[in-house]
Amino acid sequence: MIERRFPDDVKASPATAHGARVPLLEREYGNLLSCVRCGLCLTSCPTYVLTGHEAESPRGRVATMRALAEGRLALTPDLVQHQESCLVCDACTAVCPAGVHMDPLQVALRTTLTERRPPSRIRRSLRTLVYRGLFGDLGRLRVALQLPRWYQRLGIAALARRSGLLRALRLSHLEALLPPMPDAFVVPRGETYPGQSGGARTDTVALFAGCVMSTALAPIDRATIRVLQRAGCDVVNPAGQQCCGALHAHGGDATAARALARRNIVAFGGCGDATVVVNAAGCGAMLKDYPHYFADDAAWSARARAFAARVRDVTEFLAPRSLPYTRAVPRVVTLQDACHLAHAQRITDAPRALLRAVPGIELRDMGESGLCCGSAGVYNVTHPDQATRLQQRKLDHALATGASVIATTNPGCLLQLRAGLAERGRDVVVKHVVELLDEATAP
Amino acid sequence: MSERSNPRADWERGAIAADLRRLLRDSDVVDAPAELHTFAYDASFLTQLSPRVPDAAVIARSVEDVQRVLRYADERGIPVTPRGASTGQAGGSVALIGGIVLSLNAMNRVLEIDVPNMQVICEPGVVHAQLNERLAPHGLLFPPDPGSSRMATVGGMASTNAHGMRAVKYGPTSAWVLGLDVVLAGGELIETGSAGSRAKQSSAGLELTKLFVGSEGTLGVVTRLRLKLMPVPPARAIVLALFDVLENAGEAVQAVYRAGISPSAIEILDERCIRAVNLYRPNIELLPVEALILVEVDGNPPGVRWDAETIVDVVRPLAREAKWSDDARHIAALWEARSLVGAAVGTLRPGSNRAYCGEDLCVPVARIPETLRAIQDISARHGIPIATYGHIGGGGLHPGHLIDGRDPDEIRRVLLVADEIHDLALRMGGTTTGEHGVGAARAGYMEREHGPALDVMRRLKRALDPRGIMNPGTIFPDDLPTLPVELPLAHPVGEPAQATLDPG
Repeated sequence: MIERRFPDDVKASPATAHGARVPLLEREYGNLLSCVRCGLCLTSCPTYVLTGHEAESPRGRVATMRALAEGRLALTPDLVQHQESCLVCDACTAVCPAGVHMDPLQVALRTTLTERRPPSRIRRSLRTLVYRGLFGDLGRLRVALQLPRWYQRLGIAALARRSGLLRALRLSHLEALLPPMPDAFVVPRGETYPGQSGGARTDTVALFAGCVMSTALAPIDRATIRVLQRAGCDVVNPAGQQCCGALHAHGGDATAARALARRNIVAFGGCGDATVVVNAAGCGAMLKDYPHYFADDAAWSARARAFAARVRDVTEFLAPRSLPYTRAVPRVVTLQDACHLAHAQRITDAPRALLRAVPGIELRDMGESGLCCGSAGVYNVTHPDQATRLQQRKLDHALATGASVIATTNPGCLLQLRAGLAERGRDVVVKHVVELLDEATAP
Repeated sequence: MSERSNPRADWERGAIAADLRRLLRDSDVVDAPAELHTFAYDASFLTQLSPRVPDAAVIARSVEDVQRVLRYADERGIPVTPRGASTGQAGGSVALIGGIVLSLNAMNRVLEIDVPNMQVICEPGVVHAQLNERLAPHGLLFPPDPGSSRMATVGGMASTNAHGMRAVKYGPTSAWVLGLDVVLAGGELIETGSAGSRAKQSSAGLELTKLFVGSEGTLGVVTRLRLKLMPVPPARAIVLALFDVLENAGEAVQAVYRAGISPSAIEILDERCIRAVNLYRPNIELLPVEALILVEVDGNPPGVRWDAETIVDVVRPLAREAKWSDDARHIAALWEARSLVGAAVGTLRPGSNRAYCGEDLCVPVARIPETLRAIQDISARHGIPIATYGHIGGGGLHPGHLIDGRDPDEIRRVLLVADEIHDLALRMGGTTTGEHGVGAARAGYMEREHGPALDVMRRLKRALDPRGIMNPGTIFPDDLPTLPVELPLAHPVGEPAQATLDPG
């Protein structure tokens, strides 16, 4: 069942055949046309699985986008609703035998929406404050995050929860996602963490610190650095790096995404051809996709391609290497496949191989492991109902394995699952794969 | 606009949706423009060219919903088209002349797994692969296995009498349907296969179950199925044989049967399909030969081993290479490659699309090599690359045509190709559709394919659906208007497809 509540600020306008053109989608027209409508994507799509409604399926979304590009449909409220409810998890892309790629379609459509929609106050402030403000600059984000830090430290959090104020303001759902703020953030200043080679050759790698990973989840960045050092790598943390821009692109602000991409390409240009290691699957998928954003930009396309070729997810980078394990981690673990690792980057073996290699870990796969947990960037904020249903479904599968640890490779999944577990009062913990590797290799 | 071709005026269409909202839950009635557009197609090339936007769509949640819609539509003479996952390739689940699309995929409960009687009672919207996942813990299997197993519904399979790769041993869907609940035009509910029965066979009267299976929604709407099951065979093995000469592949199939073996599947891939598999799944590393066959045997472990070794022995003299494996992962990888090759052939010609038309002929097994050569000839004559695969054990062939979807001349030529393939099928003593169904795409060939028998079908149809509201335009050519064609945007949007199949 889907709730049929269409966004009210998009007015239906009559389509004229080949009239109201959508140039950004026309550039993806070949991508749209390659859909042969076989339907293989249907059962891979979280929103179709939840609703059974064709308009909530990848095939339906591609069909309506194509009709839009051809001027046979207009940006009607129903069209917009079903496109915006796409999680951009790329599960459909991963199973498509005809090579349709959903991510660029959604970016093109959402960017068009940003341009065409009457600029509502909420949407404009989201764009100026959140996308371009908070996530537009890592320094600003660090300053801003002092606020939740004090909120948690001074006991306001407990007070707000007890008083029912959060529920009254409909913020309890958001607040549940907020992790406890660490004492110190990881601030990229161009510093190098020397590798512990034990006589073997050391590689130099560059850490993509990430906006959430370096601040709210800074302990994971630290664990990543330690594990890379123990794997024999000098780890450089290039100054000037920024948020990857995925939030911006999927929120319909491709311009801001491109600006961030340029700054990252410049920042990482300073460390030669060192592999760029990233511990957030969503960021990794975006960094690897930079060339797409500069396809028509002669000055930047080659640089974007060269940069993207250097990017590796941390599990992808570590899996072929031998790690110096120092202790057993006697835990039953299940892996939550992050969509942007499993689908967008097609990496499913590497995290499993790493977990299986840890002495003591018993890895148990969960059912429907390819189905999104509902986090999906800011989806759990924009579509809380659908997101919660997916979260609960994911937790049911994870808990059914009997695991005491849910391992993942992406900050969004991690926070989403933690929030759900806290609500259920379960003592199962959610950890990034590198945290388990860190534990097993600690001196 | 796609709505242009619909004869109904706007006020009339609005009235249908409003009426339906009085009969059903508001949220189960669809009439928003983009949502309706998602009910305008299936996987056929026909609906790529002519999307058929219905006047309204209904998401049915119960048999009562279905009865209400049919009673209403029959009173007003409004066409009703039942729809599952719309993965068909013949335009059978779209509203060809407008009206109501009745979606059954939300009716997707497995109602009862009757283990001792080896049957399952389920609703039509259950997806085939998910049904077998539910049955697996009981050691049971519903054997028909279309390539679209992961998306097709069992209701759709019954409606089209879907076959799949193992039909060569286990038969089509019709062999596994014991009974059906069907809502007739007008809303009456009947149960076929003896009401309330759990018997596995019956000789009681006319076999109505078989009448409804394969009727593609032209006689009624299936709301519940009673399906026969079998135990999961304990062992399985696969033989991969590669041939430098196409005709030897056909000869090999005869040799397998002469050796007294009944394989559970025999599939053929032509040279272009082999290349597509290598592009799509590089780790499979198939040799570039003119044809390959995959032969699967199942049963008890020593028997399977004997079968597989014997097949290798009799096939080897004809083949470049023949080998067998009982490694489950290897078998799964080969079958995955085989079932996805249909959509993956598009990778052979970057920028091109597969056009599903003339995609499902079935010819006498002995004439398969001859037919494959003739298809290559059609391909060359019209300059449309075709990659063909199919069920060589049963005679079913699936030619995959690759066209530049934005080139009106290629669109025109591929339609000629489809017509010639249908003609070829009939000349070879075969049928225009081995397992996908007639839909609208092949309705025009039914007169020639059936002769006077088509008129008997017409009389049956009139007896059950006197006002002709059930899926008009499907199977019966009489109701099918000339469908308007909506061409895609022309070049130069994006890059043109490669001119030839062989780069460089």
